[in-house]
Amino acid sequence: MQIKDYIIRRLLVLPILIIGTSIIVFALTRIGGSPIGIYLSHEMNPAEVQEMKERFHLDKPVPIQYFYWIKGVSQGDLGWSGVASAPVVDVFPKKFAATMELAIAAGIVAVSLGIALGTFAGARRNKLADHIIRVVSVSGASMPLFWFAILLLIIFWVWLGWFPIGRSDPNLFEAIPHPTGFYTIDALLAGNFAAFRDAVWHLIMPAVALGYGATAIIARMMRSSLIEELQEDYVDAAKAKGLAERVVLKKHARRNALIPTVTVIGLTFGFLLQGTVVAEIIFRWPGLGRWMASAVLRGDQATIMTYVMFTSILFLIVNLVVDIIYANLDRRVVLGE
Amino acid sequence: MKQDFQTSAVAIEDLNDSAFKVRLRRNFEIIQNVLENPTTVIGLVIVILMLLMALFAPIITEPNMPDPYQMPRDWQAARSAPLTPGHVLGTTNRGGDVFYGVVWGARTSLKLSLIVVSLTVVVGVIIGSVAGIVGGKVDEILMRVVDVFLSIPELIFALAIAAILGPSFTNIILALVVVFWVKYARIMRAQVIRIKQRDYVDAARVMGDSKMQIYLKDILPNSFSPVMVQATLDMGNIVLVGATLSFIGLSEAGIAEWGVLVSEGQAGISAGRWWASTFPGLMVFLWALAFNLVGDGLRDVLDPRTETKR
Repeated sequence: MQIKDYIIRRLLVLPILIIGTSIIVFALTRIGGSPIGIYLSHEMNPAEVQEMKERFHLDKPVPIQYFYWIKGVSQGDLGWSGVASAPVVDVFPKKFAATMELAIAAGIVAVSLGIALGTFAGARRNKLADHIIRVVSVSGASMPLFWFAILLLIIFWVWLGWFPIGRSDPNLFEAIPHPTGFYTIDALLAGNFAAFRDAVWHLIMPAVALGYGATAIIARMMRSSLIEELQEDYVDAAKAKGLAERVVLKKHARRNALIPTVTVIGLTFGFLLQGTVVAEIIFRWPGLGRWMASAVLRGDQATIMTYVMFTSILFLIVNLVVDIIYANLDRRVVLGE
Repeated sequence: MKQDFQTSAVAIEDLNDSAFKVRLRRNFEIIQNVLENPTTVIGLVIVILMLLMALFAPIITEPNMPDPYQMPRDWQAARSAPLTPGHVLGTTNRGGDVFYGVVWGARTSLKLSLIVVSLTVVVGVIIGSVAGIVGGKVDEILMRVVDVFLSIPELIFALAIAAILGPSFTNIILALVVVFWVKYARIMRAQVIRIKQRDYVDAARVMGDSKMQIYLKDILPNSFSPVMVQATLDMGNIVLVGATLSFIGLSEAGIAEWGVLVSEGQAGISAGRWWASTFPGLMVFLWALAFNLVGDGLRDVLDPRTETKR
């Protein structure tokens, strides 16, 4: 019962947070000045300028403009992107697919590597392997993504020539249809193995770069919770029962240690999402992050607003889902409140 | 453990010689405990080296007059490899001396982190204290505002603010202040609420101390350690995020800042000139790592109950 209340309370707060975020985002862009500039040209006379202002409701007070903005957004009008020279709505889906593909790939790298390294280190506490993995995971939290990505670029692209940059070989990319926007999935759907290999090949370097920080966080959590679990009585009991050490580790301790790790995995999502901005710049990945970066440098308000709103909502929902999963796994969260 | 370090209301009230000595000895014990952890010591050594570099930048390299925070340009020696005479760490495509940028970047980073940390601590502590002390509706509203600020991912929020204000180093500072005060407000509020329930606060209240007196004498001094831990961690994080914003292009081009230099160095990478991005990036990494190590070490000693949360 209490878990239900907890979930309902969290769900009720969600819209408040989203509205609050939208107010901040809107207020921010208005601090930067009226966006009328992008609709004007030098040939316009004052009457025409006034007409444009009225057309986009920019002659109204700022709070009223906020409601016009929300109204527009709810009708699918996200404004005009100066950077893409197209309506934001038209450009968004393709870029979103590219970014999600990268973020998911990085997430797969981070989760699999993080859990593996954390388990390995936790089971060999204070041995050499543990120390090495600890250095890797401690450095992960302090690693500037832009630097790590550039190091990978220098080593694997410039010096060794193993991996390409960008998202695809254009010839292969254009040879297949793109119903989902995810290049790897589209290639599989088209049954084009060369395109699939190309997609994966382009993904590896940016995914590893982007996933490194999250790997470190997950490995650290996994290690410490595994060490904690291994000190529990049930582990001794299982061993006393005559179960092999491997079985105790894999079937019992690791499974329980995964519970707190799940939360951390959810929280790294925000980490991955923000990281795409930097990773996409460096690896020339045509996604939302790179679009945002150019929008930021050229004052493209519509794109900035959409991007910030969108990532915040995504971030909020993921956090909510993680909290609910965690509350179900560990009832102390709810009762402790 | 924690209880041991907390000075009681009585001890603060009559700061006579012996109580003062007790405090000194406790602080000394804290420092001893911190120094027992080898990784903390490594962090501390790097921090000290960085601070020395920032402090003695004008002695280590000849300042570029009139504005030493601007990169000097030696167009004749552009694209030199490291160990070229006069350019130990090489130059960028645009003739910027990488060594100069590395050294003066430490000064820029120190400036950035000190300004942002002190402003955010002041703002956060004030807002958190008000929420904790006043409570009720005020608390509710302030905490919802905090939640909203936390619902936008850090880097993206800072990016958007800096973008709206226009590209400049000052605006990066402003953006980071807006983003980073929130944690202090949360920490401070939690501390205030916790300490308000302590016996010695009740005692002070019974003795007739006003709310303000209790706050200044009992609550504020005892809230110091978690704020300090967070501030130490933020000294690193702020440079990390600030350098990222600069790398994306939100500083003035050409200033002696590590992120700007990495970005400038990118132009030479495809031609194999690896140095211009590698060295300044390494500095950002070492800076953040050092403060994270020291911050973690401090937390283990001052606040053993809270686990590492990132």
